[in-house]
This record gives sequence, structure tokens and C-alpha cells, in this order.
Amino acid sequence: MDEYTIGLIGTGVLIFLVLFGVRVVYATAAIGFLGVVSIIGWPGAGINVGMIPYAKGSIYGLSVIPMFILIGFLAYHAGMTRALFDAAKKWIGWVPGGMAVATVFATAGFAAVSGASTATAAVFSRVAIPEMLKHGYDRRLAAGVVAAGGTLASLIPPSAILVIYAIIVEESVGRLLVAGFVPGVVSAIIYALIIIGMAWYNPALGRPITGFTWGERMKSVPGTFPVVFVICIIFFSMYAGWATPTEAGAVGSFVVFIMALMGGMKWHTLKEALHETAKLTVVIFSLIWGVIIYVRFMGFAELPAAFAEWVVALPFPPVVTMICILAFYVVLGMFMDAIGMLLLTLPVVYPAVIGLGYDPIWFGIIVVKMCEVCLITPPIGLNCYVVAGVRPDIPLQDIFKGITPFFICDLITLALFLAFPQIILWLPNTMLNN
Amino acid sequence: MSNPTGGETLATLDRQLAKFEDLLNIVAAFFILALMFFGAAQVISRKLLNYPLWGYIDIVEIGMVTFAFLAISSCQRLGGHIRMEILVRRLSGRSMWIFEFIGVVVALAIMLVLVWYAFDAFMRALQLGDSTIDRELVTWPSKMLVPFAFTVLIARLMLQIWGYWRLILHPDAKPIAVPLLADVIEQAQKEIKDTFGDDAPGPVQGGNS
Repeated sequence: MDEYTIGLIGTGVLIFLVLFGVRVVYATAAIGFLGVVSIIGWPGAGINVGMIPYAKGSIYGLSVIPMFILIGFLAYHAGMTRALFDAAKKWIGWVPGGMAVATVFATAGFAAVSGASTATAAVFSRVAIPEMLKHGYDRRLAAGVVAAGGTLASLIPPSAILVIYAIIVEESVGRLLVAGFVPGVVSAIIYALIIIGMAWYNPALGRPITGFTWGERMKSVPGTFPVVFVICIIFFSMYAGWATPTEAGAVGSFVVFIMALMGGMKWHTLKEALHETAKLTVVIFSLIWGVIIYVRFMGFAELPAAFAEWVVALPFPPVVTMICILAFYVVLGMFMDAIGMLLLTLPVVYPAVIGLGYDPIWFGIIVVKMCEVCLITPPIGLNCYVVAGVRPDIPLQDIFKGITPFFICDLITLALFLAFPQIILWLPNTMLNN
Repeated sequence: MSNPTGGETLATLDRQLAKFEDLLNIVAAFFILALMFFGAAQVISRKLLNYPLWGYIDIVEIGMVTFAFLAISSCQRLGGHIRMEILVRRLSGRSMWIFEFIGVVVALAIMLVLVWYAFDAFMRALQLGDSTIDRELVTWPSKMLVPFAFTVLIARLMLQIWGYWRLILHPDAKPIAVPLLADVIEQAQKEIKDTFGDDAPGPVQGGNS
């Protein structure tokens, strides 16, 4: 049996195991190991594969992951959410649907200190929804904007999922993180525009909030300084080159940690945050070494190269193939966690995408945006459930209805990114000088 | 319940191992906090004092093995490792336990292989006096943590095999030492609790948690 056939059979068995509920780390490691054994034999395979967990578990670049996760867990306790929302409301509340627009920009600001979409949705369910409802805003819009705004967290740095993508495809973590910034802001602007359009057409959805003086507006600014400070640390440190992503993450989480302590965070809360960070960290590290074992097998089987050749030879324009790949991610995202989905598919899909001539940084942002779309679409749509959890008075079906315009926005955004890759690539190419 | 299914010993072993796993989780959490302070100290020391901490990257690489591996078993206990549940969710009773059992057997098989070679790598590092490049720190304590964490995981997987086997024999018995499937509502509730801590609101509407 040739290596290519072994690769195909191995991948088939892997799909079977994953479908039947075997945890991805074990399924990939087991199939990867058996595959390597069947190609290069037992002693070589054992040594080859056996060293992978330690080798991957001690890569300095991956140490940024717990830092970004920790920031996410501490961000709420640092008490910056209300200040953000207050400032956004006073500065842009005057537009149609102003409170909802303010929520979008406040979630974007919070996303700059937290990489966790669900946490962002949870926090703003508590901070923004009551105020919107108090001002007579449509509850579907109020819930939808919070669930959708949460998704901005994975694009705007810090973002753990972008780090994972960078490590798996061996791209620069700094470039990926910098590249996420503009698409995050563009997504936020498109959300804001659709809200303004909807509220302008139907004022009952949400009226403008006016009456703030310039003095009140200026007074709301200092409250956002901690957020700006953390953004500056994480963002500028990386492309000014004075800190590695891990160091930037460490300084960012240190600042958020101090702010959380000043905000009255209790020892018990810190302990829980650290526990949860440790759990999520080990999940990601385990997935990485498990998938890398499978990738090693794929390398021996030369399957990704063959798949890439096949995809490139398809008689369609690359953009059609790309749309099919994105549709595949939408379907897969209905049944699987975003990180697992990315790690499981990238070893095979990524070489094909590069073979089609797409930029690796561009694809990273696109695929992470796809993962975020899955967070607001049924049947899982975890962000919607999180909003329902914090606001039990809003029925889940209303939240899913409220999310519909934002889902359309996301499709428009993705189409924009497909048509104009420079939206994504401009900043990293300019700031990091290729 | 008075237990004709032999669950008492399993439950005792589960509790004892869980205590140890929680301890390892605390160690991992401590090292994450330490990395935060260490990374911040490195930036301040290097940029403000022009005095980079010697061997910073070596120390991080040696230390990060703690949070990369030590909590692996507690995560397995809680069913935290990622998987696709679409088909398992449709099963119930004995057929579900059989699939869960097979999944854990696959896990045990690969972990037995990996623990062997991870131990081998540790022994080589110990015998050869392997060290890091910059600060020349010995790597064997760090490499030892991998087979150690995998051994604890193997113990956990064996308990789960026992737990699932017991449920295959007695599908209606109370599940012991096995993680239960969490639905999306329960997942959402956990995300909310993780975000707000003690400040979290009550159960999600329509929730069954």
C-alpha cells in the first residue's frame, strides 16, 4: 500500500473517530501515531512521535496563550466596561439607534482587552441591555447587538485563536495579531451602519440619545484610559518590537490584574480565574500536540500536498473554491468548537488555500471570522445562549431573530474581505514592513 | 443508593484522584500567574533598567511545561477536552456508554504509547545532562513532568474505563467517575459563571442545569 493511500485511510478513520465522539487530541494522536508506524515502522515512529508533546509544550511562542486567556477572565473584574459604554453612549448616542451603536463600539473596546467572545457578550448583556431596554429599545435589537458585538473579541487583539492559527501554520504571531485589528474595526463599523440604517428606517427600534454637553463627553474620556493603556501596551509593543507577544500579554494581563485588584476582585474570584485559565490552556496545548502528531503523519503520507494539487487543478476560479471552503467551515462550526475545528482542518486545508494563491495572514483572519459567525448562528450559537443566560427575560428565539441583521453584516464583511484583501493586509504590511 | 453495581470503590478512587488532579491544576495555575509577573518583570527590567533577565526564554520554556501538561487529567475528568458530540448526543443508555467506553479505550491506548516515549526522552535528558542553550538549565525536571502528567491521565482514563464498563453492565446506575454531556445551555451557564465569578446570575432560561 502506498503512503498516499495510507494517508487517505488514516484520515477516513480519524473522521470516523471524531464523529463518534472520541476527543480530538486522542483521535489525532492515535491516528497520527499509527499512520507514522505504518509508513516508517515502529522504532522510528515511536521516537519521532514521542518527542512531539514535550517539543510543542515548550515552545516559547505558545506561552502567550495563557496570558491572553487570563486577560479575558480578569477583564470584567477590572471594571472598565461601564466606563467604555458610558463614553461610547455620550459620544455617539446621538445617531439613530445610538445606544446600540454605542454598544458595538464599547464591545470593540472591550475586545481590545479580552480575547473571549462569550465573555464579552456576557459582560455587555449585563451592562448595555438594561440601558437599551430602559430607553425603549427593541429587545431583539438589544440582545442581537450584544451577541454579535461579542464576536469582535476574536479578531481584535489580544486573540488566543489567532495565536493558535499562527502557530499551526507557522506564521508570525505578531503579524496575525496586528492583522486582526482593522478587520475587527471594519466589522464594528458595518454593524454600526446597519443599526443606523435600521433605526433610521424604523425609529421605534431605538431612538437617538441626545442632550449630553461637550463637558460631559470630555469627562467620560478618562474612564477609558485603562483600556487605551492596555491596547497600547499589547498592540504597539509588538509592532514597535520592544516586546514579544508573550511579554506584551504578560504586561497587559499584569495591568488588568492590578486594575481588577483595585476594583475589589476577591481572592476566590482570582483563584477561579486562574483555575479556568489553566484548564483552557491545557486543552489548547493538548490539541496542538495531538494535531501536530497527525500533521507529522500527513507529512509522511504527502496527503496535504496531493490535496493542494487537486484543489488547485479544479476547473473553477479560486474564489469559488474559497467560498466552498468557507461554506464547509460554516457547516462544521455548527457541530464543533472553533479551536478544535481550526486545528483539525488546517493541516489539510491550509496548503490547498496557499496553493490557490491566497495570503496566509489573510486566510487566518477570514477563517477566524468564520468561527465567530458560528458563535451567533443556530444550532449552537453559543453567544446567543450566553445572552439568554444573563437576560432570562429575553426569549432565545428573539435573540436569534435579533442576530439576523448582524449575520447578514458578517456575510457582507466576509465578501468585502474576499474582494479587497488589502483591508486585512494593509496594516501588517505597512507596520511590519513585510 | 445502596449500590449493587460496585460503585463505592470507584467513587472513592475517583475522589482521591480528583484531589490530586486539583492540586496539579493549582500548580499549573500558579505557574501561569508566575509567568505574568515574570514577563512583566522582563519587559520592565529590559526596557527601563536596560538589564534583561538572563535566560528569560530558557526559564519560560522550562516552566511552561507545567501549564501545558499538569492539568491534563483534571480536564479529562471534567470532560473538557474538545470533541464532536453530534452523534453521541443522539444515543442514550447502553449504546451511549459503549461509544464513550470505546473513546476512552482509544485514549488510553495512545497515552500508554506516549508515556513510554515521554519517559524515554526524560531518561535520555537525565543521562546526557541535556540543558538549555542560553542559561544551560538542565531540562530533565521539565521533561519528567510530561510522563508524570501522562501517568496521572492514564490513571484517570482507567477509572473512566471502569466507570463506563460499569454503566454498560448497569445502564440505569448512577454514573460515577465519568463526565456527563453538557448541553449548550449548560455550556452558556459555565461561560457566564467564568466571566462574572460569584457575581453570576441564576440558571439560564429553560436550562436544565
